[in-house]
Amino acid sequence: MSDQPMNKGPHDVGGESAAAVDTIDHGMSFWEKQANGLRSVLSGQRIVRIDELRRAAEDLGNQYSMLAYFERTTSALRTVLLEKGLITESELRAKMDEIRKRFNVPDEMESPLKNASQK
Amino acid sequence: MISRPSTYAPAPGHRFNVGDPVCVKQIYPPGHRRTPYYIRGKQGVIERICGAFPNPEEIAYGFDGEPKKVLYRVRFPQHHVWPSYSGPAHDIIEMELFEHWLVPITAAPKG
Amino acid sequence: MSGTKFDFYARKQSAHAHDHDHGHSPGSDHAGDAHTAIEVPREGPPSEFEIMSRAMQEILEAKGVITADQVRSRMEQFEEDLPYRGSRVVARAWLDPEFKQRLLEDGKAACAEMGIDLEADRLIAVENTPAVHNLIVCTLCSCYPRSLLGMPPSWYKSRNYRSRVVFEPRAVLREFGTVLPDRVTVRVHDSNADMRYLVIPLRPAGTEGWDEERLAEILTRDTLVGVTTPSGRR
Repeated sequence: MSDQPMNKGPHDVGGESAAAVDTIDHGMSFWEKQANGLRSVLSGQRIVRIDELRRAAEDLGNQYSMLAYFERTTSALRTVLLEKGLITESELRAKMDEIRKRFNVPDEMESPLKNASQK
Repeated sequence: MISRPSTYAPAPGHRFNVGDPVCVKQIYPPGHRRTPYYIRGKQGVIERICGAFPNPEEIAYGFDGEPKKVLYRVRFPQHHVWPSYSGPAHDIIEMELFEHWLVPITAAPKG
Repeated sequence: MSGTKFDFYARKQSAHAHDHDHGHSPGSDHAGDAHTAIEVPREGPPSEFEIMSRAMQEILEAKGVITADQVRSRMEQFEEDLPYRGSRVVARAWLDPEFKQRLLEDGKAACAEMGIDLEADRLIAVENTPAVHNLIVCTLCSCYPRSLLGMPPSWYKSRNYRSRVVFEPRAVLREFGTVLPDRVTVRVHDSNADMRYLVIPLRPAGTEGWDEERLAEILTRDTLVGVTTPSGRR
């Protein structure tokens, strides 16, 4: 088994040696809960499929292990939404610019969902 | 009670039965696969039949996953999966494997 | 490769330039888990990923694909409802042997009896006995019975747990403070496809006469994944 394993994805880690488990649950930040809620609504309605999101995360290759869990899932969701034509790159760029400006207001940063619901 | 929720799905025409010895195909195709690398080429026994489910290897690329594939749970002795396993001989590991990843052991698995 | 290729990590580097050692090779000599360190809730300005996630939601809202209410109510469900279901189900199983039998035979049907809708999840309950201890992992991603336990804890998603539980389950259990004698079979379940798993722990001595609510309190998330065992003291 000295050869490089063929087509072994970055996600397929069972059996690899690793350090001790940090048994403390560090919980989730607000944006992670939002990202999870978004993914859950989209997959619940089968607008995107969990298997598509997994595949897109696995395709991150070397970046997979450098990103945290919800960074991977957010990256994967972006890929799949673009593939399906549900968003475009230019729409996403413009919206991200808009949000960056908005986040400069501290009060809005505390409750993005509240602001979204007021629109 | 027309559509009583159930963990299991029908598995028409399933090839294997509970207790059958099987070998996981030792193949390394690219793409989205739900068969962990470490279990490929290993031998186990069918623990239960879960039913026929849409094929995740197809759904992952935007298709509907039809035709469905029969999903089994397969039980493996840890000492067989990991030759250097340090625990007692009776420890086991189980996972779900789709029928197209399994071959009967009596058919002299390749490898 | 494709036209949509995007350097996610470059975005991350710019966001974490000061607090993340990105020269580190994963799985080498580091004592901690890089994932865990990053997953600690952050105060301060939003990261690129937070902005991206927010932007995707707002675009989809504007197009009528989803609504903000749908996302918000899902978030609330993950906070307030889902994490508390699993312990109720197992407490019921401890009190009612016939229910436990039905839970073992068909987890999803038994939950439906209790009015618990597992949605797309299909559930296999596995029972600890004096001779067998069950332990759940998902080596390929982080499959988890979210409809019964809510979101997985950070360790369940960590590379260290996912890598090691399959080949050294007893060592990982010891890190959680769970020491099992060799006579007990450790039965690891790699939750890698359509099924989700729930451990029915052994009911500890000292819980005689307890009602469902009191039993549910000792049935913590960790006991239902199998990394710890419940205690009946106090």
